Amino acid sequence: MVISFGIEPVAVADTKGYRDWVVGPALPTQTIDLGARGEPNLELLAELKPDFIVGAYGYGLDESAFARFAPTFNVPFYDGTGTPYRQAEDVTRELGLRLGRKADAERLIAQTAATIAKVKRGLSGLADEPLAVVSMFDDRHVRVYGKGSLLQDVLDRLGLVNAWTGETNDWGFSSFGIEELVAIGEARLVSLDPIPPHIRIRIDQSSLWANLPCVRAGKVTTIPPVWPFGGLAAAARFATLLAEIS
Amino acid sequence: MTARPLPAAFPAPPSAGLAALVALVGVPAALAACLTVIGLLQLLPAGLWWDALHAPDVNDPRQLLYRHAFLPRLLVTVQAGAALGLAGTLLQQALRNPLAEPTTIGTNAGASLALTIATLYAPWLLETGREWVAFSGGAATTLIVFALARDRSFSPVAIIITGLIVSLTCGSASALLMAINREYSEELFIWQTGSLVQNGDAIALALAPWIAVAAIIAFLLVRPLRLLDLSDEGAAGLGARPAITRLAALAVAVALSTLVVAAVGVIGFVALAAPALARLVGARTLGQRMVWAPLVGAALLWLTDRLVQIAPFAGEIPAGTATAFLGAPLLLLLLPRMQATPNRLRAMPLLTPHRAGWASLLIMVLILAVAALAAVAFGQGLDGWHWASPSELAEWLPLRAPRVIVSLAAGAMLAVAGTAMQRMTGNPMAAPEVLGVTGGASLSVLLLFLFSARLDRAAMFAAASAGALATLAAIVLLGRRHAFAPDRLLLAGIAIATVASAFSAILLASGDPRLDFLLVWLSGSTYRATAGDAAMAAIAMAFTLVLVPPTARWLDILPLGEAAPRALGLGLGRVRSILLILIAVPTAVSTLVVGPLSFVGLMAPHMARALGFQRALPQLLAAACLGALFLLLADWAGRTLIFPWQVPAGLLAALAGGPFFMILMWKGRR
Repeated sequence: MVISFGIEPVAVADTKGYRDWVVGPALPTQTIDLGARGEPNLELLAELKPDFIVGAYGYGLDESAFARFAPTFNVPFYDGTGTPYRQAEDVTRELGLRLGRKADAERLIAQTAATIAKVKRGLSGLADEPLAVVSMFDDRHVRVYGKGSLLQDVLDRLGLVNAWTGETNDWGFSSFGIEELVAIGEARLVSLDPIPPHIRIRIDQSSLWANLPCVRAGKVTTIPPVWPFGGLAAAARFATLLAEIS
Repeated sequence: MTARPLPAAFPAPPSAGLAALVALVGVPAALAACLTVIGLLQLLPAGLWWDALHAPDVNDPRQLLYRHAFLPRLLVTVQAGAALGLAGTLLQQALRNPLAEPTTIGTNAGASLALTIATLYAPWLLETGREWVAFSGGAATTLIVFALARDRSFSPVAIIITGLIVSLTCGSASALLMAINREYSEELFIWQTGSLVQNGDAIALALAPWIAVAAIIAFLLVRPLRLLDLSDEGAAGLGARPAITRLAALAVAVALSTLVVAAVGVIGFVALAAPALARLVGARTLGQRMVWAPLVGAALLWLTDRLVQIAPFAGEIPAGTATAFLGAPLLLLLLPRMQATPNRLRAMPLLTPHRAGWASLLIMVLILAVAALAAVAFGQGLDGWHWASPSELAEWLPLRAPRVIVSLAAGAMLAVAGTAMQRMTGNPMAAPEVLGVTGGASLSVLLLFLFSARLDRAAMFAAASAGALATLAAIVLLGRRHAFAPDRLLLAGIAIATVASAFSAILLASGDPRLDFLLVWLSGSTYRATAGDAAMAAIAMAFTLVLVPPTARWLDILPLGEAAPRALGLGLGRVRSILLILIAVPTAVSTLVVGPLSFVGLMAPHMARALGFQRALPQLLAAACLGALFLLLADWAGRTLIFPWQVPAGLLAALAGGPFFMILMWKGRR
């Protein structure tokens, strides 16, 4: 989020994970690795003397532990209202206020909305066709994004129909065996990278997978990584990548 | 040839026989079959079953699911159950140990570690076959256990303790790798829980020939294996070669269980329960058990898998987790029927003891003090390794001191608790980690996690204490009835620890982002230690160190058995209740601050004894020093070695402690 404001963070937790799973907006090369996302290195943080710390607290990280180094900002996307996109806008505004970059925040919000609107106009190939968005971590299970996820909000704004309408958890996804994908019929299946090569090989060997209606209809597309729990930048990235399918 | 019956832990009641065996297999199988038919009928009309089997119309989603998901899952389930039943039987016979199974002797842990390493660092290895990766890992750990146990003439206790240590070591290594590769571990989380979900018929068909070959070899081994019932000398006298027979049987068992691990993940308890049940209801000879145990295993796993699928839960409950839930109570239920094996405290001295005096204790305290100072002042920063300058120290002290204090205190407390437990139960393997006390503590914290949104320290402490105390009380109740037979206590402890880890595996596989916290806690991180935690741990340690040493006289007497304390006029019930609380509270505090798996409670007492601290009081104090030193170093190393990343202290302690313990055992062999 900070990068979306045009600010280069001094340090970010798990830089390798960011480059593999989030990808965009690109992390500056000189950004220092703070260690695991679950345990950012406090001693290093103390040495770096940051001006401002942005984090998602409440998932095991205690905000007060960081507050002693610099002013902190909490990013709560999933508060149970099930509208991550609108929340991302709110949080962007708040962060803009705190950073003294109110105009940048409004511009980011408007830009994201504009990107989505532009993608929507250009969606000739995908229009009216339901699609499901999944991540595959092994060859037998999928994680499908639905109600309450950022990706669902983006689909809604694009006027696209999510083929998966089943129950989801608080973070807007659901994990199950791939046989459940029968439920989406011949809808398009958008799968998010990265999928490890050995998993891809095993998926290709799977007779169930090969015979799924959407696979036999040739409706499976893999798109580059999008961080499904991200903010506006992730939303815009997802919309843009969808546009490239059609 | 007179085959002496195996020293059976599960003696067959005289009246039991074929009918009971048929019932044992038939009842669960019939139930499972009913559930399967009901499931099938819901999926596909019976008229299509045959056609859809050999010529499915894949345009029909029902037929697709029937042919490529439902049937393969059924086939894999039954095969895995049978393979595990056979593997368990072979292991139990080859090692003359009723508790041997792929989980208790370290095979599964080795296979899992190998697969974890391959997944994270050499995924190309998995493209051709997971089986070989799993087999190499499983074989390596099994061989280590085998080598360590051989010089103790395969005493059941020696096998289980080495198996446990190897498993814990491999488990910590896997957990460590997964913790530092968090986003790449999703696959491993799912797979660890033992999911029988199938994505086609490939695995079901590939498994069959391998299992068939293994079964044929196994049956060729029946005759030589039967000779293992005799002493090795006796068997050699009859022209048998026990060493080769044993290795061959182990190889087959390892192949069978790692095939299952590679195919569907770790499925606990089936390999232990199936042979035990078969024996219990009347399969007396090895040949009978080798036929019946696979059948029992297949029926049990089949039923479990069907029950899991009709269970009213939103997500998938992996079968491997379910078997742990079903198997653990079963094991506890079976415990009272087990024949007590003699207490083996004196059967397994680790080293020939020499005596150490108070001077060496003083030296240890000094070393500890120096180490504690170094842990605060020396470390890695932005500019590499250096001692902190006074100004830096002021900044780092609030960050480092709580972590140093909690690890030091937790190490000391676990060590004291372990020493007291080993002496109270007269069991060299007793330790808060081994007998499920930390498992019980973490289980109740997990329950708290499940039912409440916020986790505050007070609630966690209360839950952990309640869990630890309940587990300990159960152990003592159970143990008192059976004179603290080591096997029985161990089984109970393993059962509790298994339930706890199965539970956390479910939580982890649910993908809930909050679980990052759980993951680091389970791996024993001191990252979140606050000044308050440090104060709590320090106070608890002070109480422990003041209150436990006065019980030293009891701890000197208790290992001698029940008669000695009575003769000396000790009220056993009162003594045990007091000790129970003195063990439970420090264990609970330690579990909270360094997680449930650190090993220190098991190792420190043995290390103290090996250094020559024989009597209760010096052993308690020396163990406390060693435990504190050990966790302190683990925490320091964890904070600094892969800076800015961090390794949880508990994990590192387990990882370093396991091999250390194995070396001790190796050196102490006869």
